[in-house]
Amino acid sequence: MTTRLLSPVTGVVWKLSAQPGTTLMTDDEVLVLESMKMEIPVTAPHAGRLARLHVAEGEAVNEGQLLAEIVSENG
Amino acid sequence: MTSAPPPDAEPPPLEELAQRRATARELSGTEAIAKWHALGRLTARERIEAFLDPGSFQEFGRLAGHGEYDDRGRLRRFTPANCVMGRGEGAGRPLMIVADDYTIRGGSSEAAVAEKWIYAERMAREFRLPLVRFVDSAGGSVRLLEKAGHTKIPGYPLWPSTALMSEVPVASVAFGACAGLAAVRVIGAHFSVMVKHQAQVFAAGPPVVKQGLGREVDKETLGGYQTCTRVSGIVNNAAEDERDALAQVRRFLSYLPGNAWELPARVATGDDAERADAALDTLIPQDARKIYPARRIAETVCDRGSLFEIAPDYGASLRTVLARLDGHAVGLMYNDPAVMGGALTQAAARKLERFVDLCDSFHLPVVNLVDQPGVMIGAEAEAAGTIAAAARAAAAIEQASVPWIAVVLRRAFGVAGSMLGPWQGPSGTSLNHRFAWPSARWGSIPIEGGVAAAYRREIEAAADPAARREELEAYYRRLASPFRTAEAFGVVDIIRPSETRALLCRWVRDAYRLMTTQTLGPKRRGMR
Repeated sequence: MTTRLLSPVTGVVWKLSAQPGTTLMTDDEVLVLESMKMEIPVTAPHAGRLARLHVAEGEAVNEGQLLAEIVSENG
Repeated sequence: MTSAPPPDAEPPPLEELAQRRATARELSGTEAIAKWHALGRLTARERIEAFLDPGSFQEFGRLAGHGEYDDRGRLRRFTPANCVMGRGEGAGRPLMIVADDYTIRGGSSEAAVAEKWIYAERMAREFRLPLVRFVDSAGGSVRLLEKAGHTKIPGYPLWPSTALMSEVPVASVAFGACAGLAAVRVIGAHFSVMVKHQAQVFAAGPPVVKQGLGREVDKETLGGYQTCTRVSGIVNNAAEDERDALAQVRRFLSYLPGNAWELPARVATGDDAERADAALDTLIPQDARKIYPARRIAETVCDRGSLFEIAPDYGASLRTVLARLDGHAVGLMYNDPAVMGGALTQAAARKLERFVDLCDSFHLPVVNLVDQPGVMIGAEAEAAGTIAAAARAAAAIEQASVPWIAVVLRRAFGVAGSMLGPWQGPSGTSLNHRFAWPSARWGSIPIEGGVAAAYRREIEAAADPAARREELEAYYRRLASPFRTAEAFGVVDIIRPSETRALLCRWVRDAYRLMTTQTLGPKRRGMR
C-alpha cells in the first residue's frame, strides 16, 4: 500500500528529515514545513519505507501538494 | 381476535385503536424493514429507542398516515406517516425528537402529513424543549404532483426553523442522502453529525447535477463527510456509525441547558478544582518556531475527560470544544499551532463566529486559550475573503454578553490577536479579562519582519546588515517582554501555566453566580 503525504499548509519546505529508502515508524518525522513562522513537522501516518520525495529543501509548496510517498512494509 | 366482526360492524374502539397502533409500529412492514436492516441501518423507531432513556418515549401522531378504504368505507390498508415523533428524555432532560422513516416514500417531508414533523418543531418551541432531528429524507418527488393535482410555492409557513435557533438547542443527525430541505434540516442546527459513508448532505444529488450542469459527480464527492466536515464545514462532526452519531448528540446536549431561559446544569466530575499539573510549566517550547501538543494543554486544564470537540476537521487551526471546569459547562477555544501554524483561516474564522454565537445563546462562559499568529495571509487566503470572515468573527465576540476569560499562551498578533474577548460587549461593561503565560508575546506586528520593514535603509547601509538586523531584533524582543506589558497593566496578570486550572475554576464559579442574577432568554444581536 502506498500512502501519499500531502502538504497540510501553504509554506516552504524547511528541512528534509528522512531520505528515500529510509524505514519509518509511525509518527516518524519525514520533513518539516515552515508556515506562519512555525516549523510544522510532517510525520508518517503508519510504518513503512519512504519511497519518494517530491519536494526539495527551500521549495515553496501549496496546501494539498504531494510531498512524499510511503510504501507500507506489509502491503 | 376471538371472533370476526359482522361485515359492516365497526370493531370495538379499543380494538381498533390497538390494531391501528400495531400497524403504525410496523412502519413500512416486515419485508421492507428486513431489506433496510440488511443495509446495516436502524429504523426510525430503533434510532429513537437507542437514543432516548428507556421507556421515556411519548409518541405523538402515531395514528397519522394514509388510509385506503373500500366502497363501503371500511379500512383496507394503512400506510403510516413517514416520520415518527414525540417527547422523550435523553441526556438527562426532556426533549422533542423527530425521525424520518426512509423506508416509506424515501422519507420525503412532502410525501405524507407534513404537519406532523412541523408540529414536533413547533412543540419544541412552545414548550422550550431541545429538538433532536434524525434526518433521512430524499426530498420531494414529481409523483406527488399527480396526487395533489397542483404544484405549490415551496415552503412551510408554520415551520419555526429560525426562531428555534435562538431559543432551544437543536441537534441533527444525517443518516442518509439529505438533499434540499432535508439538508437544511441537518444544517440548521447548533450541532450536526453525519454517518460516514452512509450520509450525504447537499443542495442536490447526482441526477440533478447531471441534468442541470451536464456533469457526472458521485454523491460522496458532492456531499459525503469529507466534503461536508472537512472542506465546506456545513456539517460539524462525522460519526463512524449510527450509534456513534447518537452518542455524539447525547454528549453535545449534556453541556447545554434545556433552552435559552435556563442555565447549563453543573455535573460534578470529581476532579480537584485546585489541581496544579507541573507538566504544563514546560510544555511550551523555548524555541518560538516549535509547535507543541495543544490538545494536552486543554485536557490538563479542564476537568478530566470532559472535552467534546465540535467540528474537529474543519478550520482546525482553531479548536472549539465543550468542556467542564469544576463541573460547570464552558465553551473552550484554543489555537492549534500544528495546523496552519494556528492562524485564523477563513474556515477557522467562520467556525469561531458560530461557536461564539452558540456559547452566547446558551450561556456557556467562554475560555479562550490564545496562541494566535494572525489572520491567514497569501493569495489563496485573500481570495477566500479571510479578512472579512475574521471581521465577522470579531463582531460576534464583541456582541457576546456571556462571561469571558482569555489566557495568552504564546502569540497574539495583529487583527486576530486583538480578538481575545469582547472589549466592551453589548452592555459596555465587559472587562476584557485577560491573563498570560510567561511564554506570551504580542503586538500589532511581529518583531521579525516588522524590524526588517521599519529599518530597511539602516540595515542595508550597515557594514554587516544581518548582524545589524539581529541586534535590532534582539532589542525589540526585550521590549516585547510580557512583563513590560504587565507593568503597564496591559494584562491582568502573568501566571505559571500550572496555576491556570485554579484560576479558571474560581472564575467559572463567579461566572455562573453572576448569570443566576441576570435575566436570561434569547439574545438580540444587531447586524455584523
